[in-house]
Amino acid sequence: MKRSLFSVFTVLIVVGVILSACAPGATPTEAPAGPAPTEAPAEPGAPTEAPAAVEKTVTIGFTSSLTGSQEVSSKRQVAGLNLWMQQVNDGGGIKLSDGTVVKVTAQTYDDESNKERVQELYTRLITEDNADFLISPYSSGLTAAASIIAEQNGKVMLTAGAAEDDAYKTGNTSLFQLYTPGSQYLLSTVDMLKKLDPEAKVAVVHENDKFSTSVVEGLKPYLESEGFEIVLEEGYASETTDFGPVINKIVESGATVLLGGGHYPDGSTFARQLYERKVGLKFVSLLVAPADSKFPELGDAALGISTSSQWELAATHTPEEAAALGKTWYGPTGEEFAAAYEAATGDKPTYHVAGGYAAGLVLQKAIEDADSVDPAEVKAALEAMDIFTFYGGIKFDTTPEAHGLQTGHQMVVAQWQKDDTGALVRKVIWPTDVANAEPLYPVPAPQQFTGLPAGAGAQRPAPEPYSGAETCSNSISYWHHYPTAFFWVLSMDWQPWG
Amino acid sequence: MKIWHRHSGIILPVLVIAALTLWPVITGKASNRESAFTILKAIALASSLNILLGYTGYVSFGHIVFYGFGGYVGLFLLTENEWSLWTAMLAGGLASGMLAFLLGTAILRLRGAYFALATIGINEAMKAFINNFDLFGGPTGITLNFSVYKPYGGAAQALQTSFYAGAGLALLAIVLSHIVRTSKFGLGLLAIRENEDAAEVMGVVTPRTKTWAYVLSAIVPGMIGVLFFFKNGNVEPHDAFPLHASIEILVMVMLGGQGTVLGPILGAFAYQGMRGYLVTSEFFKDIQLSVSGALLLLIVLFIPAGAIGWLRHRIPTLRRVLA
Repeated sequence: MKRSLFSVFTVLIVVGVILSACAPGATPTEAPAGPAPTEAPAEPGAPTEAPAAVEKTVTIGFTSSLTGSQEVSSKRQVAGLNLWMQQVNDGGGIKLSDGTVVKVTAQTYDDESNKERVQELYTRLITEDNADFLISPYSSGLTAAASIIAEQNGKVMLTAGAAEDDAYKTGNTSLFQLYTPGSQYLLSTVDMLKKLDPEAKVAVVHENDKFSTSVVEGLKPYLESEGFEIVLEEGYASETTDFGPVINKIVESGATVLLGGGHYPDGSTFARQLYERKVGLKFVSLLVAPADSKFPELGDAALGISTSSQWELAATHTPEEAAALGKTWYGPTGEEFAAAYEAATGDKPTYHVAGGYAAGLVLQKAIEDADSVDPAEVKAALEAMDIFTFYGGIKFDTTPEAHGLQTGHQMVVAQWQKDDTGALVRKVIWPTDVANAEPLYPVPAPQQFTGLPAGAGAQRPAPEPYSGAETCSNSISYWHHYPTAFFWVLSMDWQPWG
Repeated sequence: MKIWHRHSGIILPVLVIAALTLWPVITGKASNRESAFTILKAIALASSLNILLGYTGYVSFGHIVFYGFGGYVGLFLLTENEWSLWTAMLAGGLASGMLAFLLGTAILRLRGAYFALATIGINEAMKAFINNFDLFGGPTGITLNFSVYKPYGGAAQALQTSFYAGAGLALLAIVLSHIVRTSKFGLGLLAIRENEDAAEVMGVVTPRTKTWAYVLSAIVPGMIGVLFFFKNGNVEPHDAFPLHASIEILVMVMLGGQGTVLGPILGAFAYQGMRGYLVTSEFFKDIQLSVSGALLLLIVLFIPAGAIGWLRHRIPTLRRVLA
């Protein structure tokens, strides 16, 4: 009896701790509460000559990855979208010519970075929550599943964080991509290398997933066409936490430049282990992870790591640039966007934040151009769109073969360097017309960062031999979602079945 | 009368499937259809695993490998060879069955924890293989063109058709489970579960019996894999072989009560129903994983035999119905 009472108390304490630690109010990405989705006259006493101002609230539906492997980037994207919604509502809404004022509200669910419930949740968003417009989940695989629901319900879905090209080549007509397609991600980095070191020997090491592989599929032919030698091509599992065997292969290949990576968890671990092993590559460019503001937490391991970025404040696009190209400028400047985001969150915006914000901005422009919130008219406005924002050019492919693929947006190359105070800052190093720093090339060997005597790093040290396990796949990371099941199964009595 | 007694255990499971199928039809809500599909898929997977876990007593941590492998084979045939969904599903099920036969012949000589560990290895090995198998698209997987849905009336109608097909597969899984449980073959499996050495002495050819149980438990997951990925429009190694999904199926079977036909159905219904509610609940949606973990902890502590096991123990008269 005492034992069972003890069990009950233990469980109650555990539940209490979990609930108090995870109170919903603590979630930073909570969508701002908007007015109820009703139509109501805004000013009953207004003069009769003016068109009656009717307030209409449109619901923007999306799933985000509050948990799982896409958590970091997905939350940033949602933070950008939330900022846009906040600004639209605070600014009095989107005004249409008939006097209607359109305000926005969000409905969102956690997709756990997992495809299992994506279709269920998007169906719910459309049919139960009456979402008028959709934003994609973060990542190409989840977006591909959600796009079927968008298509069958005739809903426009703006995609940010779904760069892989294939999802736009399925014959769907509902997707509109904000990012530069995956196949073009690293092309500007190759252009820069061509200028810096045409003799570079390139190792292409990437996460074995849909997005990273599509980036590499676009990269390889371009590298070869530019005359670079690819000395190693290697994929690693998404859950990899030990890059020792991969690093051994990089060292053995004689590579001087590393291009690849994947997402935040693997990319940040890869960068740290490259530093710890003192591999001494001249240049390292990784996808996604170095673009996050958390990346400098790696300390000196972050120094010199580059990334392809959809947007950087230092190289933000300007109205002058738009005018020179003969494009229509729309929305705030990069500085205004960054200041608003910093004021709202205390954090500096990354390209994922900018992508989320730009998705909202593009939707706003489409509603204004269509002068309606009718999905078909907004869709037509998106198809005709050819504008310039702080985020860059926005133009969509309208051919049946690749409908919605982004064709107007260009990427920049950013690199973590140290400023005068020794703090790590992300500098734009390519293209030269927007760069605010020279590329750090070659990246200094790791010893120079660790306080060794001057000159010790001038000669590249031999990489330390690796003595760890030869397996790099680590699926144990799944367990944290299911601690109860894990301990339960472990504690099972195996005896009767033996 | 004898037949009635023998088959009375199938009535409740069939009624549950029928109710789940009719729920979206009656309410007319597409979101209910999607929720019901998730539950029906879980029922099909849990009931299939129950043949191995519940009847034979072998714990498989990597049962999801059959779902992923079948799904890949089916989608490949759908896209490259333009097979219909129905023949692709059949092929996916058969491919998974054949894989189970080959694997079972090799690893079912292991017992207890050693077998369980081997099944984890198989799932990870298959994921690594598919990741490097260019015919199946490697890491980018296979993406369906929307034209695939045209023969089924377009994307919207295809999802409706997929739902009914999912209900059919769930029904197939429970009928299979019931037939196994009430057959002489099933009796052999139960004997293996209680004491494998004794079963062998009594004349059960254990390696062959276990292998066939493994094959039977793999066919429906292979078919449901094809259906799920057809419905989702793409398949990637990461989604096809998720180890955590294997553990979820184990939890469902044990939650409802292993070794019974109804148990896995109730377990799947309760687990997926609870997850579905929590993930969309305004109050719980940000803490749904923590809450579902805490609820499972409570259930495991106080009803370790599963719901059906607990009911059968408390109310003996229900034993025939709660088979």
